[in-house]
Amino acid sequence: MRNMNERKRTYLLITIPILALFICFNTVPLIRGFIYSFTNFKGFGDYDWVGFRNYVDLFQDPRVGKSYLFTFKLAIVATIVTNVISLILALGLNGKIKGKSFFRGAYFIPNVLGALVVGYIFNYFFTYILPGMAKMAGIDSLSGSMLSDTKTAWIAIVIVCAWQAIAMNTIIYISGLQTVPEDVYEAGSLDGATGWKKFKHLTFPLIIPFFTINMVLCVKNFLMVFDQIMALTKGGPAQSTESISYLIYNNGMSGGQFGFQSANAVIFFIVIVAISVAQMQISGRKEEQL
Amino acid sequence: MKAKVKEKTNWPVMILLILGLITVAFPLYMTIVIALKQPSEMTNSIAGILSLPKSFSLSNFKEAMEVTDFWNSLKNSLLISVITVVLSIVVHSLMGYAVGRNKAHSKFYKFVYMFVVSGMFVPFAILMMPLAKQTAEMGLGNWVGVIILYVVFYMPMNVLLYSGYLTNIPIALEEAARVDGASTWKTYWKVIFPIMKPMHATVAVLTALAVWNDVMTPLVIMAGTGQNTLPLAQLNFQTQFGTNYNLAFASYLLALIPIVIFYIICQKQILNGVVNGAVK
Amino acid sequence: MRKGKKVISAALAGCLTAGMFLSGCGDGGNDGKTEIEILQYKPEAAKYFDSVEEEFNKTHDDIHLTIDSPNDASTIMRTRFIREDYPDIIGIGGDINYSYYVDAGILADISDFEGIADVKQAYLDIGEALKIVPTDGTYILPYVANAAGVLYNKNIFEEHGWEIPTTWEELIALCDDIEAAGLQPFYFGFKDTWTCLAPWNSMAVDLAPADVCKQVNRGETTFSKEYGEVSEKYLELLEYGPEDPFAYNYNDACTAFARGESVMYPIGSYAVPQILSVNPDMNIDSFVMPANSDASKNTLNSGIDLGFAVTADCKNKEAAYEVLEFLYEDENIQKYIDDQNAIPCKEGDFDLAPMLDGMQEFIQSGNMTDYQDHYYPSEMAVDAQIQTFLINQDVDAFLKKFDKDWQRYNRDTIRKVQEYEEEQGNAE
Repeated sequence: MRNMNERKRTYLLITIPILALFICFNTVPLIRGFIYSFTNFKGFGDYDWVGFRNYVDLFQDPRVGKSYLFTFKLAIVATIVTNVISLILALGLNGKIKGKSFFRGAYFIPNVLGALVVGYIFNYFFTYILPGMAKMAGIDSLSGSMLSDTKTAWIAIVIVCAWQAIAMNTIIYISGLQTVPEDVYEAGSLDGATGWKKFKHLTFPLIIPFFTINMVLCVKNFLMVFDQIMALTKGGPAQSTESISYLIYNNGMSGGQFGFQSANAVIFFIVIVAISVAQMQISGRKEEQL
Repeated sequence: MKAKVKEKTNWPVMILLILGLITVAFPLYMTIVIALKQPSEMTNSIAGILSLPKSFSLSNFKEAMEVTDFWNSLKNSLLISVITVVLSIVVHSLMGYAVGRNKAHSKFYKFVYMFVVSGMFVPFAILMMPLAKQTAEMGLGNWVGVIILYVVFYMPMNVLLYSGYLTNIPIALEEAARVDGASTWKTYWKVIFPIMKPMHATVAVLTALAVWNDVMTPLVIMAGTGQNTLPLAQLNFQTQFGTNYNLAFASYLLALIPIVIFYIICQKQILNGVVNGAVK
Repeated sequence: MRKGKKVISAALAGCLTAGMFLSGCGDGGNDGKTEIEILQYKPEAAKYFDSVEEEFNKTHDDIHLTIDSPNDASTIMRTRFIREDYPDIIGIGGDINYSYYVDAGILADISDFEGIADVKQAYLDIGEALKIVPTDGTYILPYVANAAGVLYNKNIFEEHGWEIPTTWEELIALCDDIEAAGLQPFYFGFKDTWTCLAPWNSMAVDLAPADVCKQVNRGETTFSKEYGEVSEKYLELLEYGPEDPFAYNYNDACTAFARGESVMYPIGSYAVPQILSVNPDMNIDSFVMPANSDASKNTLNSGIDLGFAVTADCKNKEAAYEVLEFLYEDENIQKYIDDQNAIPCKEGDFDLAPMLDGMQEFIQSGNMTDYQDHYYPSEMAVDAQIQTFLINQDVDAFLKKFDKDWQRYNRDTIRKVQEYEEEQGNAE
């Protein structure tokens, strides 16, 4: 019994101060931001209380609605693409290959290149190189710039988002694969499990916690997509690629809509938390099943 | 490490990996070529942009270093990144441990876990203004404040990572130590902390990377202190009406080196600290 | 619950004390000198301001001047305002942010500053017009202006003997001539939405009333009425540009123009350094966008690019005036103009950059009108709306949306204007 108490006390002594720090620099400013969402604060000077006006406006603003649709479309597609590719890449990099360190280092680079470089290079790629190649190959549908067409601009953004995010997801999958004990494989190969079967029944169940982590991080990163939008389209063409974070930042910080965009941020926060909690519950249940 | 029996190389996987490398090599090649060129060599034609520079010179790198006050900015960036990473590993792994070991059976810890992890989804834009005010009031409008904020910002992601990793580490390990009479605190440092080495390395890489490239936090918090981090200094290359891509690319390549080296070092740790065989 | 609260407040207190403890070092002594700090928003002029700072401190014993020229100054300015850590003087552009700052009471009245008498009337008027509602007092000292119109490749013009057009018909005829010569008249970089505003502004000053936004705020007219012609003519202009102007960004367009891929480029004088960096030998000149068929109605699109305002919080206004006086010396203004190809807002003889030759006449006579977009709230994203319009080419839908959005994004401003109008009405 004494032992139990000692454990509990230690856990609490660890949790409380760290939690306090977190509340001080995350929750408290969030609450302050929440309070601003009931004002017409511009980011400076005086402001008036406007009650729920910002929230009412929010639900009537087609621009905000469009940004939600765009952001979710982007996040879902990019999450799937990123996770599939990075899982394959992690398995490959964890497999029996030569020059592991080199490959792991090389595949990490997309994550490190700054937004300005990524923006410039992919702008160039989509504006000049891809159409040039398409013309040579005689593919008419790709002979224009993907970024100047409202129908294809979002795909270009998905490509760049995935290109950058794969590095990080792969690292997490690789560290997950390290926790898979070799004897599981050995036992598996005795049973004659190979390839896809081995992955599905032996490897994958063991790395589900990492799959969960990656899904959550992906959904989070892509729902909050901002850098790639700034680098590639700045919301264009024809306002078709304005993400939620883009609106919150551009109109709230640079523009004079701090109060209104705070309301947007609050709603957005609630929406993502709801999604993530649901996501974690589902995969949590899966973990328990196994 | 397992005893290295001569492993057969899996060639199909190798070939696929090499092909995939094109997606990395091509942008990197473009970056390097542009970093070596002069603004007057920039064109809008494909052949022009991919061609090698007319003359090979490192003058862009030299000038980029001058413009960004490279060594000073590097020092600030390193200082902030290193302290943040060390603090993150210590603080977040503890939190991950306390929460991860209890969230399955305690409602309180389950709540704390959800509460902290949901902090990940707060758009920074809404926190920015209140934080600028709050840090200034507390006298934290400097690099110390930036580090504290980073430790808070990356807590959700890292707690998620650590507690996820812990689910794959059997409790039996701790129990054994406890039977020997060690306190929970001691058990943690002696048994759990070392075993989480691959996760420490992963957290270190992810945190370092995020901190290394971040512009917004130092911009807002350190405004007016006259101190620059590398990404802040790199803003010098772009204004609305003109961007010197050649200098900027040279500077980005320089800034890329430390973080890639750091990654390669950590990568080895992710591999070496395998739990293989140690359990069960 | 109570326990929880206690824990939280204890933690907060902990954070606070830790914060105070860590912030031991403040700024050191300043030898009894008055400190004046300027925060200005043009990082491209940082070198100039560094030299001004040095020069000033060398010649003044009682005042110590610091000039900050940070990148992303607008974010920094806002951050500092929210911290209530105001610089003594801010260097800003004459746009809607200035209007907001005046309205928010952040700036001090500087009408008793002697230098005001030397400012060209046109720019004082612009500063006055930008106020949301008329008030007494002057809040900005216009320093330099920029101009937007059409940049052109002088060598190609001379080769073919083309003349600067002064009316819309002449411009269209010129474009046809250029196409007949196998060249491309214009280049656009509409992928960067803000560049859509350059031709828009320079045509709107010729075709719409200068105070159209204020008229709308007072409820006297609508944009559908005033912007119809501008929109139609913009579409006409588009025909003479590259095939898919929305694929190219500002940088692409500058490079293309520098490489001679087009003869003209409708953008502001600020683009010249970027163009010259690609082609240092290029011979660039500019002319006023002739959107009106009546040459006398065409006017130069020019606004306050940089002006200085003293903040209401400034402790020592006299010292601030002394700094302003120094900045406003002819010699220093000339240095700025040489450095940045700018147009001075001060009366007097200054040497202007050669690429402004074609606009000289308008500059000398003071025939200029402010950018329309200086009245647009940035969150309304008029630039993106224009881009959308240029893609869809639907004038009616564009203007209808413009009118509707304007009411929504300017709700508080309009309310203020109408309250003011009522007050004025009652007073009379």
